[in-house]
Amino acid sequence: MDANERIHAQLVKAGVTLAASLPDDWVNGLIRRVTAGNEIRHIRVGREAETIAICAGAFFGGVRSVAIMGNTGLFTCTGEMATLCLRHMIPVFCIVSARGSIDDHKVYQEVQGRRTVPLLQAYDFPYQVIDQQDDIERIPDAYEWHRLQKRPFILFLTKRLLGVKNA
Amino acid sequence: MKTREALAVLARHRGDAIVVCALGMAANEWWAVTRSEDSFYMHGGMGFAASFALGLATALPHVPVWVLNSDGSLSMNLGCLLTEAGQQPGNLKHFVVDNQSYQTVDTMPMVNQDNADYAAIARGAGIRQVATIDNLADLEKMTPPIVAAPGPYFIRLRVESEPDYQRAPPATYEGPEMKYRFGRALEKKLGIKVFGPRGF
Repeated sequence: MDANERIHAQLVKAGVTLAASLPDDWVNGLIRRVTAGNEIRHIRVGREAETIAICAGAFFGGVRSVAIMGNTGLFTCTGEMATLCLRHMIPVFCIVSARGSIDDHKVYQEVQGRRTVPLLQAYDFPYQVIDQQDDIERIPDAYEWHRLQKRPFILFLTKRLLGVKNA
Repeated sequence: MKTREALAVLARHRGDAIVVCALGMAANEWWAVTRSEDSFYMHGGMGFAASFALGLATALPHVPVWVLNSDGSLSMNLGCLLTEAGQQPGNLKHFVVDNQSYQTVDTMPMVNQDNADYAAIARGAGIRQVATIDNLADLEKMTPPIVAAPGPYFIRLRVESEPDYQRAPPATYEGPEMKYRFGRALEKKLGIKVFGPRGF
């Protein structure tokens, strides 16, 4: 079973029934897996910050959701994550590609690789990195943990985990 | 048509709708008119009330959801109209208070003041039902059929800019209390579970 299949299965196990996403090379496989099934409803957006607000709204409908995006997209929505989710203590579970890592040689990802963690630390947004398939089974635990954190939580997926080639 | 007069009309026709208000004037005036706790009054995330409402409407497909947006907020996230059109939520009504200004910040003019047609933008984004209403008589007449129609429906409320606007005070609670009051109100009203057994 490939990583995206296992991630999808663990999201379903965690009770996730809604996803909002904007593509990135590395998470496109997961987005395709979500859209291929009917366990998780999928909303395509035009800007990553929409995923944060959509998931925040879904929270109040009693629905478990996930925001899927690339690292660059995460950069663009930290303001909304702070002023909406920190302000009101709303948990949002984000799955984000760990772009800019040492095995990512796209020059336009270099800033993200260096500055993402300091940015998250500045906002006090918790995060975890999944680099091995065995750790995918921790997603349901991570989901429960992010709810009690009452703020956005970022689960980074690495290039090695996703088996991405040429991206 | 003044903003508060328009929102008073909407309040009378609200029925069971859950309402999400963009921060600033829309939120403050809706609170002034309704004092309702089953409304969410945004205090941040300017531009994203419509996205929040779409998430709520998607989560509760059998519950009417309204968003009371503003021209300033909509201009910060026009892409929300594409996302909304892509989903075609049958339970969502999208009202925009268009006063051509940033009312709560000294009535400073909106970008492209007087020339933007948000209803046309919404139609172009793929929302088939759109309306522009600029007087109370039409609003009284058109609101019942708009409420009764399936969504998505985009309604531009063309109201007066009010240079001597006396700012309505915001809701008397905020931040985390907003989360819990709104969530508990929905649990009570709809019989759903927003929070887990230990409160988070």
